Amino acid sequence: MPALLLGAGLAALACGGVLAAARRSFAVGVQAQAAGAAAVAAAGFWAFAEQSTAGAAFTSAFEPRFGLDGLSGFFLGTLGVVATPALVFSRRYLASTGRGRTVAVLQAAFVLALAAVLCARDPLTFLAGWELMTLVPAMVILVARAADRAARRTVFVYLAITHLGGAGTWIAVLLLANAGAFGGGGGVATGSALQLGIAAAALIGMGTKAGLMPFHVWLPRAHPMAPAPVSALMSGVMIKVAVYGLVRILVDWLGILPVWFGVVVLALGALSAVGGVLYALFQHDLKRLLALHSIENVGIIVLGLGACLVLRGRTADAWAALALAAALLHTLNHAVFKALLFLGAGTFEKAAGALELDRLGGLLRRLPWSGAAFLVGALAIAGLPPLNGFASEWLTLQALLHVPAYGGVADGTAGAIALAALAATAALAVFCFVKVVGLVLLGRPRTAAAEAAAEAPVSSRAAVAFLAAACVVLGLIPGLVVRTLVGLAPWAGAPAVGAGLALPGTGSLPTAGIAVALAVCTAALVAARGGRRAASEPTWACGQLVEPALGWTSAGFTKPLRLVLEAVLRPEREIAVQTAGGVVQEISYRGRVPHLIDERLYRPAVAMSLAAAAGARRLQSGSLAAYVGYLIALVLVLLAAARVGVIG
Amino acid sequence: MNAAAAAVQLLGGLVLAPLLPGLVQHWKARLQGRRGPAPLQPFRELRRLWGKSTVEVEGAGVVYRAAPAVAAAALATAVLLVPVCAGAPRLGAGHDVLALAGLLALARFAVAASSWDTGNGFSLMGASRDLTISVFVEAGLVLAITVPALVAGSTDLAAMIGATAGTHVWSSPALALAGAGFAAVVVAETGRQPVDNPDTHLELTMIHEGPLLEYAGRDLAYLQWAAAVRHWLVLVLAAQLFLPHPVSAWWQLATLPLVLAGLCAVLALLETLVVKTRILLVPRLVAVAAGLALLGVVSWVAGGAL
Repeated sequence: MPALLLGAGLAALACGGVLAAARRSFAVGVQAQAAGAAAVAAAGFWAFAEQSTAGAAFTSAFEPRFGLDGLSGFFLGTLGVVATPALVFSRRYLASTGRGRTVAVLQAAFVLALAAVLCARDPLTFLAGWELMTLVPAMVILVARAADRAARRTVFVYLAITHLGGAGTWIAVLLLANAGAFGGGGGVATGSALQLGIAAAALIGMGTKAGLMPFHVWLPRAHPMAPAPVSALMSGVMIKVAVYGLVRILVDWLGILPVWFGVVVLALGALSAVGGVLYALFQHDLKRLLALHSIENVGIIVLGLGACLVLRGRTADAWAALALAAALLHTLNHAVFKALLFLGAGTFEKAAGALELDRLGGLLRRLPWSGAAFLVGALAIAGLPPLNGFASEWLTLQALLHVPAYGGVADGTAGAIALAALAATAALAVFCFVKVVGLVLLGRPRTAAAEAAAEAPVSSRAAVAFLAAACVVLGLIPGLVVRTLVGLAPWAGAPAVGAGLALPGTGSLPTAGIAVALAVCTAALVAARGGRRAASEPTWACGQLVEPALGWTSAGFTKPLRLVLEAVLRPEREIAVQTAGGVVQEISYRGRVPHLIDERLYRPAVAMSLAAAAGARRLQSGSLAAYVGYLIALVLVLLAAARVGVIG
Repeated sequence: MNAAAAAVQLLGGLVLAPLLPGLVQHWKARLQGRRGPAPLQPFRELRRLWGKSTVEVEGAGVVYRAAPAVAAAALATAVLLVPVCAGAPRLGAGHDVLALAGLLALARFAVAASSWDTGNGFSLMGASRDLTISVFVEAGLVLAITVPALVAGSTDLAAMIGATAGTHVWSSPALALAGAGFAAVVVAETGRQPVDNPDTHLELTMIHEGPLLEYAGRDLAYLQWAAAVRHWLVLVLAAQLFLPHPVSAWWQLATLPLVLAGLCAVLALLETLVVKTRILLVPRLVAVAAGLALLGVVSWVAGGAL
């Protein structure tokens, strides 16, 4: 049954994609797409809840096969839950001009490509879907931006990095297929060089696609360039499909990996989590900031995955299953709140004409619906109770805490450091989203455009309200999801989980109880305070007149942390003072926090490759004599080699 | 037993908590040769504030109005969550120590967001400093509580209090190192010297007091009460996890008030002896404490189970 529903949903998506190409049927087409995505969500979660399999089983043969099982179902459900509101949102967000219609067609193709990877049951379909999933967003960026210079450059970096790193995916999948282990089945011996090679290739290849540091450089460039609904799909789902690949290969198909490999995964996760949120904090463009937060959240997911690998290596199977569940729960949660935040950013961009944090402000009052939904998303991504981000971060923290409990000295220490890194990440995320909420939603409008901002159309509001409701519901009953998620672990020994998160070895997290306590206390305190208040006065500025020039900026708010971490971040600042006749005329200030991995790792690498290419170009002199010379030299070398006995 | 533990937890956390900062202020004044306010002074202040009207700031909205209630509600929920002795009953919020960190973060978010709503520069200055320090404090807190959690094999606070009771856990240096790490968390969360100066009236040096500047009346009463409850939470954790405590739950209940008073005296002594650290050096202090706690974890893992 879920398979039939899934088929119907995908068919509706395809039809919607075709219909959206024509001006007259644009709206109908986009609605059909959204309906199809809703069917995909229902089918996916249905298959997940039943843990049922349908269609073909995994095969290492190169014959197109499609199928469905619990893990695919979970990711398809995540895809549908994000795609439905994103597509509903896109109906009013995309204009029905030629460019808008092309984007509408491409977004349907994008969802289909993502579903193809998730349903693929053979190496060929998997890799084809994988490449399509990379190429379609590149097309969307080029179309939406009319292929301007910035878009071309971004797409070049995006394709270059994802293909260089993505070679790892090809290597891993082809090696698996060669060993007859695409789909598991014990073709790869535990502890063999082949197992480690496949694991390392998968980690690099899929880590690149997931935006894991240090392979992440394309992500903060590409995600903000796309239109808001496609950004939501990219951050919400596309990078999660890479997580799906990692779970399949590392957790399911390769058997038990050595503990040190789990520690490497933990280290990459911790680096991405802290690095992502740290650079997000010093970012002043809303969409780029959200894209950097995707790196952080992928880091948190990978921390859960690393804990799973270490605990599995230490035969702590119950907690390994919970660590996997933590990673997957955060996958779903991040998809929901990140889509919400990207759609919110799209709304604000339309309403106030800017995405720079310092050019918005006061939007909660002007866009009460979209603003309140965005606030819920911000609280969720900051990992605050009682919302969904808190539940999955709590579970990830618990999983990491059990690494020192079951591990040896080295992996136990790594687990403790990862634990501290995740705690610091959570605090940094709170810092960052206080800043975002403050600059975007609160206070006074900072520009005339923000002052005149008006609420979004009903369909857009409904899309963000749906996602905000999902944040609340997933925060109240995470146990219901986790209960089924632990069953996805391909080993026995998964513990029983209650509707709140009542787990053995923890103090339990009665999510609903905490939510009720918070709500009741807040309501009681608000009621007790009463409505009596003095007439409003301007804020206290030591008697100075309160004027916009006194308003705090994004850079100012984060300055203490920038100063504290100066040795690590190496920020740049420049102050230019212009004087005329001894009188200061103008002081200009420029400060930025450069991305160290870009500057120290990629820039030298790019410079070296360019230099090498320039050197190689000298070989192509264009003179016939030189080419004849090369041929003679080649023949001589071959003859010499044959003579020595190296060849022949 | 259960009823007594719940009574101590609720009465102490919700009602008597303001006594703790009151005691610190009282003893600090004595140590400095002043008569100073009576220990009940925080209650008098709350009563005075309760009778005053709140103020409205031009341009501020619902977040400014809701923040004090949300912060106080988060701390009240945290009181439900932190048991006072081993085997204390669950009061609907579980006993998980990591959930406590989440609730403290919620209160911090609410207060910091309110400063953006008013746009007050001094409030924002305090909020941004508080959030900067919180990054290190949160890492230190989680590392410090990892040791008792490893001892107990659980993050259930009631179980952790039971497992760290008695003398046998002190044969390993792990808990002592974690306790040293937690000391910095106590000082930072309570906003006391050398991290912050609760007596300051100079806006430029404020950390925790900064975001409170725009509030008056019952709103301010909520926030001051929340600060007192924060004293209660971290001092109870310090007393029942990181200091030697008796095995019997009744004795744990009986000694708790004495140990809390002792800890207040230590805070008062610390405030008298130590000057406030430069704000930019505070993270270094807390990071060193977190490093000590990490050493505690490593020594526990290396030593194996006792």
